[in-house]
Order: sequence, then structure tokens, then C-alpha cells
Amino acid sequence: MSKRIAAVIVALMLTLSFASAQQVTLHFFHRWPQEPRKSFYDQLVADFEKQNPDIKIVMDSVINDSYKEKIRVLVSSNDIPDVFCSWSDSFAYNLVKSGRIKPLNDLLAKDKVFADSFVQSQIKSFTFDNKIYGLPHTMDAKVFVYNKDIFEKAGITKLPATYDELLTVFDTLQKKGYQVPVLEGLADPWTISHYLGSMFQLYLPESVTDKDYAEATGVFTDPGYKVVLERFQKIASYMGPNATSMTHTDTRNYFISGKLPLIYLETGEFKYLADGNPNLKYGYFPFPAFKDGKGKLGLIEGAPEGFMMSSTTKYPEAAERFLKFIYSKQNAQKFMKDIGVPIAVKGALPSGSSMPWLNNAIDVMDNAKGMVPWFDNAVNIKVADAFMRGCQAIATKDKTIDQVMADVQAAAKVVQSEAKK
Amino acid sequence: MTMKTLRKASEPLLFVLPCLAILGIFVYYPLVQNFIYSFFRFSAFSPEKIFVGVQNYANLLKDTIVVTALRNNLRYAIISVLCQVCFGLVLAAILEDRSFRRVSPLFRTMFFLPVLISISVICLLFSFIYRPMDGLLNSFLQFIGLGSLARPWLGSAKTAIFATIAVSQWQSTGYVMMLFIVAIQKIPDELYEAAEIDGANKMQRFFVITLPQVREMFFVTSLITVTGSFMVFNEPYILTQGGGPGTSSITIAVHMYQSGFFKDMMGYASTIAVVIFLISVFLGLIQLATFRSGED
Repeated sequence: MSKRIAAVIVALMLTLSFASAQQVTLHFFHRWPQEPRKSFYDQLVADFEKQNPDIKIVMDSVINDSYKEKIRVLVSSNDIPDVFCSWSDSFAYNLVKSGRIKPLNDLLAKDKVFADSFVQSQIKSFTFDNKIYGLPHTMDAKVFVYNKDIFEKAGITKLPATYDELLTVFDTLQKKGYQVPVLEGLADPWTISHYLGSMFQLYLPESVTDKDYAEATGVFTDPGYKVVLERFQKIASYMGPNATSMTHTDTRNYFISGKLPLIYLETGEFKYLADGNPNLKYGYFPFPAFKDGKGKLGLIEGAPEGFMMSSTTKYPEAAERFLKFIYSKQNAQKFMKDIGVPIAVKGALPSGSSMPWLNNAIDVMDNAKGMVPWFDNAVNIKVADAFMRGCQAIATKDKTIDQVMADVQAAAKVVQSEAKK
Repeated sequence: MTMKTLRKASEPLLFVLPCLAILGIFVYYPLVQNFIYSFFRFSAFSPEKIFVGVQNYANLLKDTIVVTALRNNLRYAIISVLCQVCFGLVLAAILEDRSFRRVSPLFRTMFFLPVLISISVICLLFSFIYRPMDGLLNSFLQFIGLGSLARPWLGSAKTAIFATIAVSQWQSTGYVMMLFIVAIQKIPDELYEAAEIDGANKMQRFFVITLPQVREMFFVTSLITVTGSFMVFNEPYILTQGGGPGTSSITIAVHMYQSGFFKDMMGYASTIAVVIFLISVFLGLIQLATFRSGED
């Protein structure tokens, strides 16, 4: 009898150990511990584990700025998560430089249908040295958003097509009693980089930005930068004295309340407008061109965010399966429906969608001839920081434009010397 | 030497060994490591480090942000000593006065409460108070007819650092006050009684008895606040998004953090950390030299 019991126990243990040996654990790290995305990813992981009982996902998340720090540390350590989210362009490139990010070319080559399911223009932001290191997920772009009712009341019928016309619109609005026609939360340095990115692209010839944005060749001595900063200062002067003490969220809420005529917003924020004030009628237009500008027209500033895979993962097959699951049409559609942010998966917009903001956001992307990366992702962060902090000081008139450009050039010199070594 | 005496001699060493090990691992090793790092250039992204000699120190001398940051730390220190130590002592003396005996427990609790709140929470609360358009402070100024004084407190380079310093004072004065209350309570009553018989008024009693009797505490609290002022990080990091606008309200600790984790210059951040360490050592030495603990 006792022998029989022992045999049963042994058999049970064997089965258990076999089962646990079969199940692999993947680490998934993202930056949305807050709603609504938290629930979305909780559900996504639960669904995946149900469909793939052999894989267990350990998910972790920290918010935005902390994520930037934590993922850097993780990637340079041996605890790199198997699948994790990343911004594109220079942020992604910095991670790629560690040599621990898996190129996904093979994965895409193996599965043509999967490869073709992406909005192709968005993949470029994750491509370095002809290798694709990340897959684009959310798409985002920056446009001026205006309050249609206020524009109507102020008698503005034509949307500004040039920078001068934009200033005329500001003046008209001020004359009609809107002392602050445009506002941005300049306390958030990144908001400044969005303005600068669009303005540099429109004003400077591509040859100049190409050379300066590259770490090894950037000098930022073209006189055009100074002109752009002067024009930024001009725009900031319309924002009144409070801009540098407000955050972007403050100013967006101000716009949602219907008191602010104009704001420079990301398409990903359209849903906040719809949710915050369903009666708000808004329109949008791209950053107007400069008459004397030499940049390409029709481009729009913005970039996708996406997911990457570790090259040191013990279970590449399982990680690939999970990555594909995130981008499945079903999950992409659910994401658009639940989160309301456009996604770089073709056909993800549910047909007959009752989410006009999504159509608006997709329109912006469709109408653009191409994308320009966010400025703070396009250049080395030291240069971006010199511009962003400097422009805060320009807005409060605590520094001159020449002083700021000197700081930028000094930062560029440091970046250049580091890139060459 | 016999085995027994050897064991006897090593006994005290064994007792301090755990402490030494913990200190060594968590304090001295990182300290030495940080000093070594300050001679390298490296990124948090890659484990590869490049030896640059004293380049980081040379850059530090040219860095104008360091000057701004140290100036702000100094402002912090001066205002904190005036506000927390001097005003804290006055508060303590008032609350310990006989005529306030009835209400003093209430006020003591009220003034001490901010110490118990997390500094991050306080900073978030104050960011609402300082909001330019609908903040409590500007609304209040407008309400009492001083609207002309309303300004973007955290958005102007002229006021941002002082608005930030004010938050720390609001939080910490109660703590210093409590320390002084304890010190005042230890003063023997006979001294006050004798002074009273001699006809000394309240002011005289404060300057002649209270002040000299709490001078040791005065030194301690001054050094705590000054040292704290050179470490301050949370307030500017949260209230002015890391020392804005521009770098007008940056402190040396924020500069170190941003150099390391935002601009990804870990070696340079280590160099700034060495500066912070030297300042702390300097202040510590003053403490050792001027304040001979336990003599009083």
C-alpha cells in the first residue's frame, strides 16, 4: 500500500515539475501605471496568459519620467525586461547603442502579413543602421488646435498659413479681448522642444538640421537658429507672464474650459478635449510656414512610441509571440476603442467609429507628407536641454538669445567631442 | 600571547564588526567608488567607462549652473537659519511662556504637523497655492486689495527660488521649534525665579537666561539646517520642474541629479557629488570644532 502511495506521489511530483518546466516567465515593462492604459495592459496580459498557458507574464510599470530613468538602468544591467516600451528616435537609439536590443528584421521577414500590418512610415523612427529595433505602437503629431467659437466671434475666417498670419491672428484675438490668445505650459521644458522642433524644421534647410542634429557634426552655428529663437520669443510674449509657471496639463485644461483660443497640442490629446468638454468645437492646422523659411513644407512633428525586445532574452520565441499579440488587430482595435489614441496598425480603427477625435488625429497623419521627430528626441539631450532651459529664460527675459545660443554651442561641442572618442 | 588574551582583545572588535561592515558596504564603498567615477566619462546606458582624468573637474569650474546652484543653496541656508532657527526659537519661547500654558499644546501640535507630512505632498499642495491664475496666494492677494503684488511665483526667475525656500520654512520651522521647546524645558525654573525676583522683564529673561541656556541647541539646529540646505532636492525638483524657469531655482543636488539621469553624464554627476561631499565634510568639521557635545 505504502509503495503505491509513494508511486502516486512521485508521479504527481513529476507531472508538476514537468508542468512548471514547461511554463516560461517573461518580464514585460511599460510606462502606464495609470488609467485607462493600466486596465488595458492588465487585460491584455490576462488574455495572453489564457491563450498561452505555457507563458507567464510578470508585468511592471512606472510613470513617464521615472520610466526613462529606470529603463536606462535596466538596459545597462543584466535585468533587462524581455519586452518593454520605448520612445522612438534618439531615445530608442541610446538604448540600441547598448547592444542589448534585438533587431526585429528576422521576425518581420518570417511573417510578411505581420510586417505589412504596420503603417510603414512609422517604422523609420525605430530603424537604425538599416535594422529595425522596435515596432511602432501609438502615433502622435503636433498641431495648433483652435476654439472654433472664439475664432468665429473674433471674425477670423481664414486659418493662418504663414507665421506672419499667425501673429496677425494673435493680434486680432487680443483686440477682441483675449489678452492671452495662445498659451503653453512652459514650466514643462519638453513643450518648448515641440515648438522649436517644428520651427527649426520649417525655417532651416534640411542640410543644416541634418548636420547639426547628428552628434558627431552638430555645431548649431547657423544664424537661422537665432532667428527662430527670436520668433519663439515673439510667440511666448503673447502667452503672458504666467506661461513659465504653468504645466502643459494646466494650459490644456484651460483650453478645454473654452477660455483659451489657441494651443499647440498632440493629436493624442484630442480625446481629452472630447471627454473634458463635449460641447467644445475645435479645429486644427499645422504649424504655419515661414515666408523666408528654407525647410521642407508639409512635414509634421511627431513620432510613434513602440515596443522593443531584449536580445538577451532566454525565451525569444515566447517573447516574439507576446510582441505579436500586442499588435494583433483585435488588441489594436480594443486599444483605439479604450484609449482613444491612434495606433500604427493598419485597419485598427473600428468601422463606423463614433470617435471623431480619432478620425481627426488620423487625418492629421494622413495629410502630412512625412514626420519630423520630436526635437528632444532628435538631438542629443544635452543640446535639447540647453535649448529648452534657455528658452524658458528667453520667455522670462532673463537671458538673451545670444547667451542661449552660446550655451547650446557649448553643449554641442561636448556632445561632438564625446561622439568622436 | 595566550589564546585567552587574544580572544579578550578581539572581543570589542567583534562587537563593532557588524556596524563596520554595514557602514563599509553602504557608506564608505560607494563614497570611494563615487570618487573614482568622477575621473571617468560614462553613460548609464553602457557599462563602458572612459578615463578622462581631471576633465570633469575642469568642466565643473567652467559650469555657470554650479555657481547659480550654490548661490541658491546659500540663500536657502541663510533664510533657513533666520526663519527656522531664529524664528523657531522665538516661537518656542513664546509657547513655553507661562501666559501661553493653556493654549501651547494646541499650537505646538499645529506647528509640528507639517513635519509629519511628506515633502512631496507638501510641494504638490504648494504648487496649487502658487498657481498663477487660480492659486490661493494670488487670489488672496487680490481679495485683500493687494492684487498688484500677485505674480507667477514659480514662473519668474526672480521669485521662483524664494517661493521654493518658503515651502521648506513652512514645513521645518515646527521641527526646530520642538527641539527648542525641549531645550527650554530643561532650563531649571530657579533661574527664571531668581531673575524675576531681581525684577527682570520677559524680554530680559529671554536674552539673559533662555538664549544662553539653549546655545548648544542653537548650534545643533543651525548646523542641521545649514547642512540640510546644501542637500535640498525635493522642493525645487517638484515645484519648479527641476530648477526652472531656466536654471534660476536649481540647487546643487538637483544639478547633480539632472546631469546624471537627465543629461546622462554619470561621471560629471559624480564630480558634483564630490563637491556636495566636500561641503558636508566642511560643515561637519565646523560642527566638531565649535560644538563640543556633552560639555554643557
